[in-house]
Amino acid sequence: MQAVLVALFVVPLVAVPASYLLPAKFAPSASALAGTTSFGLCLWLVPAAGAHARWGLGSFLHLDALSEVFLLTTTFLYATTAIFAAGYLRLPPGPAGRRYGERFWPAFNLFCAAMVAAPLMNGLATLWVAVEVTTVVSALLVAIDGTHEATEASWKYLLIASLGLSLALLGTVVMYYAGTRALGGSYTPSFSELRAGASHFSPVAVRLAFVLAVLGYGTKMGLVPVHTWLPDAHSEAPSPVSALLSGTLLATSFYALLRFFQVAERSLGPRFPREVVAGFGVASLLLGALYLLSQRDLKRLLAYSSIEHMGVVAVGTSFGAPVALFGVLLHVLAHGAAKGTAFFGAGSVVRKFGTKDMEAVRGGVLVLPWSATLLVAAVLGLSGLPPFGIFRSELLVVEGGLSTGADALPAVLVVLVTVAFFGLSWSTTRTMLSAPPARGPAGDVARGEVSAWVVVPMVTGLVALGLLGVHVPGDLARLLHGAAAQLLPGGAQ
Amino acid sequence: MSQPVIAPAGVQALQVLTVLGSAPLVSGITSHLEARLQGRRGPRVLQPYYDLAKLFRKETVVPEGSSWAFLAGPVVGFACYLVVPLLIPVLTTYGLPLGYMGDILGGGMVLALGGFAMALAASDSGAPYAQLGASRATTFAALAEPTVLFVVFIVAMITGTDLPYALAATVRSSSELARPSHVLVAVAFFLVVLAETGRIPVEAHSGTLELGMIEEARALEHSGAPLALAKWGSAVKQLVLYTVLINVFVAPWGLASSGKVAGIVVAVVSLVGKVTLLGAVFALVDNSFSKLRLFKVTEYLAGAFLLACLGVLVFYTGGG
Amino acid sequence: MGQVPSTYASGAGIAALLVLLAEFAMLRAPSLRSQVRLYMSQSLVVVVLAAVTAAVRGLDDLYVLAGLSLLLKVVLVPALLVHLLREAGSDLSGSPALKVASMVLVAIAASAFGFFTVGPLGFRSPVLPSSAFAVAAAVVMVAFVLIILRSDVVSQAVGFFSVENGVSLASMVVAAGLPIVVELTLLFDLLVAVVAFGLIMRAHHALRGTLYTWELDRLRG
Repeated sequence: MQAVLVALFVVPLVAVPASYLLPAKFAPSASALAGTTSFGLCLWLVPAAGAHARWGLGSFLHLDALSEVFLLTTTFLYATTAIFAAGYLRLPPGPAGRRYGERFWPAFNLFCAAMVAAPLMNGLATLWVAVEVTTVVSALLVAIDGTHEATEASWKYLLIASLGLSLALLGTVVMYYAGTRALGGSYTPSFSELRAGASHFSPVAVRLAFVLAVLGYGTKMGLVPVHTWLPDAHSEAPSPVSALLSGTLLATSFYALLRFFQVAERSLGPRFPREVVAGFGVASLLLGALYLLSQRDLKRLLAYSSIEHMGVVAVGTSFGAPVALFGVLLHVLAHGAAKGTAFFGAGSVVRKFGTKDMEAVRGGVLVLPWSATLLVAAVLGLSGLPPFGIFRSELLVVEGGLSTGADALPAVLVVLVTVAFFGLSWSTTRTMLSAPPARGPAGDVARGEVSAWVVVPMVTGLVALGLLGVHVPGDLARLLHGAAAQLLPGGAQ
Repeated sequence: MSQPVIAPAGVQALQVLTVLGSAPLVSGITSHLEARLQGRRGPRVLQPYYDLAKLFRKETVVPEGSSWAFLAGPVVGFACYLVVPLLIPVLTTYGLPLGYMGDILGGGMVLALGGFAMALAASDSGAPYAQLGASRATTFAALAEPTVLFVVFIVAMITGTDLPYALAATVRSSSELARPSHVLVAVAFFLVVLAETGRIPVEAHSGTLELGMIEEARALEHSGAPLALAKWGSAVKQLVLYTVLINVFVAPWGLASSGKVAGIVVAVVSLVGKVTLLGAVFALVDNSFSKLRLFKVTEYLAGAFLLACLGVLVFYTGGG
Repeated sequence: MGQVPSTYASGAGIAALLVLLAEFAMLRAPSLRSQVRLYMSQSLVVVVLAAVTAAVRGLDDLYVLAGLSLLLKVVLVPALLVHLLREAGSDLSGSPALKVASMVLVAIAASAFGFFTVGPLGFRSPVLPSSAFAVAAAVVMVAFVLIILRSDVVSQAVGFFSVENGVSLASMVVAAGLPIVVELTLLFDLLVAVVAFGLIMRAHHALRGTLYTWELDRLRG
């Protein structure tokens, strides 16, 4: 098992130089291979991780149920996005296209490698480093198209996310300080040590560290009010990158936040950390849902939907009931699958119609019979319709919230999720299912998919989303239960 | 053989007289040094005394339409500036009679009253440049006021009282000098003194350009004995501020600890020495910077305020 | 409250204050070059503080850190920024949203916020005076003000790098025992961030022919 763990860490890393050194036409397939291999390795680890924690490379790597959940999302999107990008990019022959590929594929693999590495890190400091690497690499990926909008979005993203992360670093340092009282002047801040000693930490320091971490990682996770970079970066990045940003990068930051949450819960008791997370969560839900109602830009629409879903996740975490936590983790998986698929579809639409403005796009289903249909399905899934996974996870979150005896917060959650449902599904279905305009720029768009490889990952994503909604496989359910238990104050060490 | 001892009241009188007598000397030395630094021969060190003597002999001209305030201003100002030496440790480490009648704030108020009297006299003259100078000086003094207040707060927090003698004693007795908040406050006060004595970078005190003048312009309409008093007064004010900076904040050493004559003599000499040294520093500052444009003075004062604020914050958050 | 700190503690406290004052000076620095120079001197103070702390407290790890920080933050990053400025051929910083005096007042308020949120927590440090932690928090706050109020990419980048100086200072105060490997990776990370900042700043300049950020207003809603 240890070898599999190490391989999971190494495979994406190897893909970075490989995609640069191999001849240009092999780079996409090498990346897709690395992605699918990682996902395979990750699936292999599910039963083992559900049972108990594992270590690799000494105690450098660390895998438990919680990190496995996030690894699943990451590697799944790594695999599907690599396949999608291979079909979607269609670089023009010649030096310009080659140069684009030479920059895109290594950065893409490094981005994924860092996101795979983050949940595998055994300690707050190394975790922070991995997250910071994801920021830097993804900022470069956002800027890769070289347009005015892309550099603007990339600059905002890099600046705001880096600033947020420096707060998170401060939080990490303070958390380390909080531990010196219980663990001595110089110790390795690994998760097991932190959790074991948490009840003896200095509470004031833990409180400060937690707030800083929520602000810091919350910035990268897109929590309101520190979300401002998110819509820009998501809408201006190339669509495969948008899918990764939304589906896994946000989840990775949420994972980092949860690690702080675990320590804070054990040290301060559940009340304070839950209240903080709930505040940010409700704000994100509210703002995300309201912006969804008035959005014309297709990719920004999906971006605000990400903010809304991160709000759901945060509010669900604050409920603290096992059912709700199970729902939160399921939500992370389902959101990854759905949002990835949606961005793939949005990418094809934008490529085909040459605009992101939904007023200008009409008759999507007629022009893109597969992509547009799958996009509508994914968006319906995102807005919480059965039989998709998000319906189940949101239901579980609300159920968990009601089981704690609090009525107000679950009610708010239901209302806002419904608002988001209308905003999201109304505008998308109108765009995709309408008749094409008789004349005008969109009237003469040629029918047909961008590439067959674009459709495969979308189908895969929807199947996964449906599977999570209809029946969660036994091993996965055990894994999610184990991870949810870890998030309880008295949970497994 | 016991040394001759001067009665406390005598020492107190001596404090005032020392300031009164050596103030022109100190400005003479400073302007001489300044000139030397600029490569000029400069005025004689004793020139201010000659100037004063000459002015006292000249007749007094009063602008038409001005009232009693025009002539009273320099006199009241001069008197105010002479009261302050009673309150601060000029020569001794211990408080003398009347020494505890006012704290640092009290001293500051008396100084401000002197400034107000001068400003009033300038306004009363009806001359545009004098009024301009008065309004500018008052504005900047108001802007410098928060800094002074914060300096006083810090002193009060460190010593538990805001008597200048107490702070000087604290500085003497411990490593107070290296305390971060103390350093900040001392630098802030240094900047305020720079501004209050009308020196570069706030004001070119040796210039003749009326438009750039601040404090200098106030006495433009005065002549004869009142002008002499105004000039002497500003020299006294300068020396008083220098003395506060040195004997309270930076180097309260060499002061007499009793009324013995030898000690007092040493104290007088060391005071003049230290003040001359400080004057040299000011001359150096004068030559190293250029005058700020008038609206940049607010930035300068904001800088001083910043230092004082940080002093308070650092002190409040512990560790000095 | 009245007790007087030791000479070493006072010196360290003053060094921490110098870091903060450099941050304030950046607020009013009129040219980008002076901005970079200020960053350089600020980093130098941090490095010297690290070296002195290493000597006084016998923490050998800190020497390594100080050496590498010297190389990276005092030499490499400023050199990179100066190179970029030479390439761009422009040196005036974007006019700030507020006048200098008001900016200083805002920054004072921000640093007071930093001081008062962190100061009363009573963190005790084994190696540095505890007030240095509050100063570090203030440095971070003032750097945020700098980034918000200045409107050119160089000032914003310098602001970000100086946030890192503040965090370094904080970590020296409260977590001097942090494993050296961790500290080194942090520096490595700064290096990576610098490269990314440099690349995007260059792209920005190449596209718009300016270092200012006024035109960055296309993305809204």
